[in-house]
This record gives sequence, C-alpha cells and structure tokens, in this order.
Amino acid sequence: MDSVALAALQSWPWHPWTVAALVFIAVLYGIGWVRIWRQVHTHQDSTRLGCFVAGLVTLWVALDSPLDAFDQLFLSAHMTQHLLLLSIAPPLLLLGRPVLPLLRGLPKRFVKEAIGPFLTSPGGHQISDWLTSMPVVGLLFAVSTVGWHFPPAYELALGSTFWHDVQHACFFWTGILFWVPLIRQTPGKSRWPAWAPIPYLLFADLVNTVLSASFVFAGRVLYPSYESVPLSGISAQTDQTLAGAIMWVPGSIVYLVPAVVFTVRLLSPERTIAEEHPVRVPRRFASGQQLLRAKWLPKARRFAQATMFTVAVAVIIDGFVGTQVAPLNLAGVLPWIHWRALSVGALLLVGNLFCMACPFTFVRDGARRLITPKLRWPKALRSKWLPVALLIFYFWAYEAFSLWNSPSVTAWIILGYFAGSLVVDSLFRGAVFCKYVCPIGQFHFITSLVSPREVAVRKQSVCSSCNTHDCIRGNQTSRGCELYLFQPKKASNLDCTFCLDCVKACPHDNVALLPVLPGQTLTEDPYRSSIGKLSKRYDFAALALLIVFAAFVNAAGMTGPVMMYEHKWHARLGPHAMPIAVGAFVLLGAVIAPVLLVTFCTICNRLWVGRDRIWEISRRFIYALVPIGVSMWAAHLFYHFATAWFTSLSFVTPIQILCLDAGLLLTLYVIVRLAGQYGSRVSQTIAIAVPWAVVSLLLYVAGVWVLFQPMEMRGMVH
Amino acid sequence: MRRTTQQVCLTFLFFVGSRALLADGGKVQLQKQAGPFLITVFSDPSEVRVGRVDLSVLCQKSEDKSAVLDAKVFLHLTKPGGAEIVEFTVPASHDAATNKTLYAAHLDLPAAGKWKVKVDVRRDGDEASVTGDLNVLPKQPLLVTYWPFFVLVPLIALLFAINRRLRRGRELRHPRALR
Repeated sequence: MDSVALAALQSWPWHPWTVAALVFIAVLYGIGWVRIWRQVHTHQDSTRLGCFVAGLVTLWVALDSPLDAFDQLFLSAHMTQHLLLLSIAPPLLLLGRPVLPLLRGLPKRFVKEAIGPFLTSPGGHQISDWLTSMPVVGLLFAVSTVGWHFPPAYELALGSTFWHDVQHACFFWTGILFWVPLIRQTPGKSRWPAWAPIPYLLFADLVNTVLSASFVFAGRVLYPSYESVPLSGISAQTDQTLAGAIMWVPGSIVYLVPAVVFTVRLLSPERTIAEEHPVRVPRRFASGQQLLRAKWLPKARRFAQATMFTVAVAVIIDGFVGTQVAPLNLAGVLPWIHWRALSVGALLLVGNLFCMACPFTFVRDGARRLITPKLRWPKALRSKWLPVALLIFYFWAYEAFSLWNSPSVTAWIILGYFAGSLVVDSLFRGAVFCKYVCPIGQFHFITSLVSPREVAVRKQSVCSSCNTHDCIRGNQTSRGCELYLFQPKKASNLDCTFCLDCVKACPHDNVALLPVLPGQTLTEDPYRSSIGKLSKRYDFAALALLIVFAAFVNAAGMTGPVMMYEHKWHARLGPHAMPIAVGAFVLLGAVIAPVLLVTFCTICNRLWVGRDRIWEISRRFIYALVPIGVSMWAAHLFYHFATAWFTSLSFVTPIQILCLDAGLLLTLYVIVRLAGQYGSRVSQTIAIAVPWAVVSLLLYVAGVWVLFQPMEMRGMVH
Repeated sequence: MRRTTQQVCLTFLFFVGSRALLADGGKVQLQKQAGPFLITVFSDPSEVRVGRVDLSVLCQKSEDKSAVLDAKVFLHLTKPGGAEIVEFTVPASHDAATNKTLYAAHLDLPAAGKWKVKVDVRRDGDEASVTGDLNVLPKQPLLVTYWPFFVLVPLIALLFAINRRLRRGRELRHPRALR
C-alpha cells in the first residue's frame, strides 16, 4: 500500500470523551435492552440492537476516525463526516428504538422523579410536538444544512474549534429531529397522513441536491481554507467536486430510498404496519439484585480480605526493607495514591468495599478463633469523638511529617493498625475497633452516605414476622452484626462495614446489597439502629463536618500558595516550626472555619425557626454538606491517581470539576429538601436554605480554586 | 408515549452530541516553499495561547505536492525582545501527530507575544528551512477555558426548579398521579 494511504489509515484520533460518551450510551441501552428482553421480546429485538450499535459506531467513525483527522485538509473528508452525522447515524440510532431501553437502563426512581415530570408536562408536549412537526423540522434542516455551507459560516467553523463543534452539533441534532417524524418509536397511528413523508423526504433531497450541485458546478473553490492547504495529488477544486459528489449520490440515496418505501406503502392495498406481537417469556436469568443477595458474597469477602492482607504484608516488607524513595516503594505508592483513590471510587460507584475487604479485621477474625474477648468497651468512649481526634491528628501528621513520602513510617503505621485492631478486638466484644476507633472506617462510613448501594432489608413485612432476629443475634451459620445494627431499623450505610454477616445469617434471605438513591438518607432523620437520630448526635455531626472540611484542607495543603505560606511561617518561627505552621492551617481550616460557618448558619436560621431545636436543625444540615466534601475528596484523589498512571492530564481537570459539580448539586438538593421540612412558607424555606447554600457555594469556590492551583505530584518520580 | 419518545430522544442524545464540543481544530500558521519542499505549519488550537499547543508540519515535495513522510523535522521557537530571550528546539514526529501524514510536536509556550518559528526539514541530503511568526495570545483564564463545566450547575439547578414546578402543577391537576 502507498505510504501516504497507510499513514492516513493510521490516523485515528483518540478523543476519550467521545469514546466515554458512546460507551456510556451503549451500556445504558444494553442494560435497558436486556431488562426489557427478559420480560417481553419481539422478533425485531436483535435488529434494533444492531441498528443502535451501528448508529453509535457510525458516530464514532464520524468523530474519531481518520475522517476527523483529515477534515481540515480535505473537503471531501469533511463532507463524508457531515453525511455520517446528518444522514446516517441519526436514522440508525432511531431505528434502534432507543427510548424505552434507555429509560429502563436508568435507575427507576431517577426516571420517575427527574425525567418523568418533563415527559408528561403539557408544555413539554407542545414544545416537542412543535419541534418535531414536519414543516418545522424541514425548515430547521434546510437552514442548518444550507446555512453552515455558506462560505463565511463554513470558514468560521474551519478557523475555530468552538464553531466547528457547533457546526457538528447542528448537523447531528437537525439529523435527529429530521428523522423523528419518520421513525416512530412505538406502535400506533402516526400524527401525519401516510403521504406526508414523501414530499418531506423529497424536500430534503432537493436541499441536498442544490447544495451538492453548487459544489460540483461552482467553477471555483468555495472555501479558501482548503485552497491554502496544498493537497497531494488532487487540486482543491477537484476535492470540492468530489465532496459534492459524495454529498449528492449517497446523500440522495438516504432520502430517496425511504421516499420510495413510503410511496410503495401508500400505494399498496394493505398499508397498515403489522403490529408487533410481544412474547412474554419466563425469567431465566438471575437479576442483578438476586446476584447481590447471593450467599456467595460472604465467601468472596474472605477472598478479598486475604488478598488485601497479602498486599498489606508486601507493603510493610517493602516499606521496611525497600528503597526509601517513596515513588519507587510500594509503601509510598499503594496506600497513599492507589488505595485511597480506589476506595473512594468504590464508595461512589458501589459502596463501602474497602471495609468489606479490610485486612485488619481479617487478622482480628483469625485471632478470635483463639481468644474470646470478654470486656465491654467503656461507655464514655462509645461515640465518635475518639476517631474525630484521631482523624485531626492524622490530617495534621500527614502534611507535617510528609507521611506519603516516607515508606518506613507508612509501614509502621500499617503495622500499628494491625496491632491496634488486634489488641482492641481481642480485649473487647463486638467490632469495637471498627465502630469506635478506626479513623479509616469512620471516613468510609460518612462517605458511604452518598453511595449507590446499601445493605438493607428487601421487605419490611418479612422482618415484622421474624422472631429470631438472626441478623443481629447470629446463628449457627453466621455471627450477627458486630456493630449492633438491627437490619429492620438500619437506615443508611453509617456504621456498616459491608461485612455481610447479616446477609449470611438471615434465614429468610431478606437482607441484600440493594440500590439506593445516593444521598437519599441525608434528607431523612429516622431512628437508626445503634445510632439513634442523627439530629441528636453531636459526635456524628462533628465527624461529618471534619471529613467535609478536611477534604478542602488536605487538598489545599498540597497547592503552591498554601505551601509557600506554610514555608513563610516556618522560616519566621524557626527551624522546627513546620509542624506548627501545618497544625495552624489544619486547625483553622478543618476545625475553626467549619465551627464558625455552622454557627453563622445557625444564627441566621434562628431568625426563621426560633430557638427551639435550632442546633438539632443545624446538625441535620451539616450532613447536607457531605456530598460536596466527598466530591472534593474524589476530585483530589483522582488527580494523584491520574498523575501516577497517565502522562497526558488534559482530561483530569474536567473530571475534577464535574465531580465538584455533582457534589454541589447533591448538596443543594439536600439543603432544599431539608429547608422544605422546616419552612412552612416558600419564603421561609428559602431563608432557611440560603445560609447553608452560601456555605456550600463557598466550599465549591474553594474547591475550584484548589483544583486550579499547581499541585504537588505524589507517587511519581519527579 | 410517542411524545414522550420524542422528548427523550432529544434528551439522551444530547450526551452523544456533546462530543462535538471536542472536535478537532487547526489553522495554517505558516506556509512557504524552501528548496525541494513545500512546508506548512498548522496549530491546534487555532488560536495559539500561552500553555500547551500542538504545532504540526506538513512537508510536501514541491513538484508534485506529494507528502514526504520520511524526513527529520525540527521546530525552533524563539521569543525575541525583552530582557530574556526564550528559545527552544523540539523534534516533530508522526508519533505525536493525530494525522500521521503530519509531523507534530506538543509544546508549552511560556510567554505571550510574537514568536519566531523556524522549521528545519532534512531528508536524504536535502535540507530546507522556513521561518515565520507565530502570534501567541495570553493564557485564557481557567474559568473561561472550563466554562461549560461551570455552566452545568446553574443549568441543572434550573432544570430542577422547572421539574419541581411541573410536579406541583401535575399534583394540582391530578392529586393522586405522583403517589
């Protein structure tokens, strides 16, 4: 093959966002398609699936293939790209009847609550009816197609990335709109007479033909940009003629073939389209929920724990005997860079998987075969204050002594953790270490408030008739919950280590890892087993507040301006004053600032809801800040994870901002819901929500500022 | 249901269509004939700003305009004037290019202003150099660079407000509809 042709064929751009968007849509469609297929299937299911996948592949080819790489050099390549975007991908996607599969692919509650009102609103119907009526769409199609091919508009697109994007978006969207009236998504009568598609398609072909002919017969190069780029083998004029021919012939086929089909249908004696006969089929496959309820999960947990234990041992050994250059040592990389990011990722995508695979409890469980603990944890320590203090100490020590940069210290910490859990749980009954001591566990408990899965009961009615309460008491097959969470009264993931003992113990198979709406429990304040009402617990509120603000403090501590500030104070106070400077920063950001801000919000709210229960209300609002805090943790840890794996980091900042966006939106949502519970009038609701919304916006702005600062890269050789 | 279908189609495909925001760009910054070669320099993004920039070179034979794929290409960039003269040389290669008929180099330009670009091409004893100016604009504020990501928040908040309003309207029309 010619070397130039070979080079051209190798010119595949890599747009991760394109691929991610297409894969996301494909997965969503696939999930929905399988769900529908399990209940009802027709003979056309495979065809639809094939059409939809072909549509996505066409989009991918248009946007992420050599066509995209050469669209600046060859008008013919650019026209092919436009043809795919405008005339090929849209009908293929619509032939896949994507509506139901995509809706079924989304969480049911999200569809009902978030999308439902839009789909069923009369105003929405009017707009969509208008927007998809043949005259309007025909006009839009013509304006978009002809308008963008006027030389000034086309040159604008060639010279600016933004306008080039807008041009492509216009083609794709007018393509979708154009085909919507022709490809009905559900069986039923069309709102248009049977002959209407014929002039509609002929009009589109006319527009296409006039445009193509203008390219072919123009007699001069219409777009100077292509003239300025010298082409191999063909002149710009020839390239333009070729572009016109591509547009004319395949472009016309796309409109004329359906026009012929509609004409034949119109003229045939039986014009009615055969209704599809859905076939009900029995369920043959286990659903996702059934799988997560399965008894094999506890065994899988043991395997995960053993694996994590092995990794922890390797980290300790390397930390002690390996090189003390952190980026080259397992102890410098695995715990601080990979594990932290992966555990937060798992929390956001599934749930508290790290506690499920905890290596410390693995050792403890082994020891308990030999030692039976007899003591009870002192009453005074049955709260979250101890882990709060430990967390503050950790956040300070992490920066003050650069724990991440010292493999041997990291190894000592992990060893200390093993020893601590072993000693505490060998002496005291229950999972005392997890519940009242472990700072990592507390971090996961709070973070898992926005997890999409929860260990919960499937049917409360089954629990009402249960007398044995094996989920908490245990039985011969499994011990009960060591954190004293009684499943029927358990709400949210707080204090749940995902150990799945309750799943194993429940004789009714009524406990499972079930999907929940992230953050849903933040808007409620039920009595929670072994915790009580969150609005009554100062220690939980303090823990949540600390974890939220520490997200910003921890990330800010690695940025240039903050480090400079710390070094300035270090120089001013003396050679050993760095821990003091760091301590002051941590104390100010993670303790004093949140206390002041919460006090400010409480004082503001007091004007509207009175003195009664005012602190109780504030304690509820504190949990509303958890999503923005978690999103900051995710954004920050993702940065370190990405810098350890990738050299090109252009995708990192957008993902980080999207994380913060999602956190802010969820926080605002929870604030609005909570304010609605305390405000009797709209004005009162707004007044209650405003101070908390201001705090969350401040956190968002602080987060964005931190993300935009030069940040110290860790876990890689500098 | 049909209406629903249409609305949802528009909604979900927004995500796919949003890719268009990342379409490739590129602009001819310099084109000159030198020796046996015709050399064209492109930039991406089309407006060159301080920071990361992708400069691509198309090298063609003068006589038949066929692409030359086996040359050695170097880019020399100089920022004259001022107290400091910034200067660096980078090789351009097919590996760094999306379009494999071009030679590309990814550069971090440290300062705004007029830069001198010199492209050196060597191939089988033939050597050619072209020079030209590259106007580098100041760095865009990050808030401007990432504005679509910040617009998402008010946009979704607005959609939420509309959602609430629609729900309230529906509840008033059909009190039991949403239960």
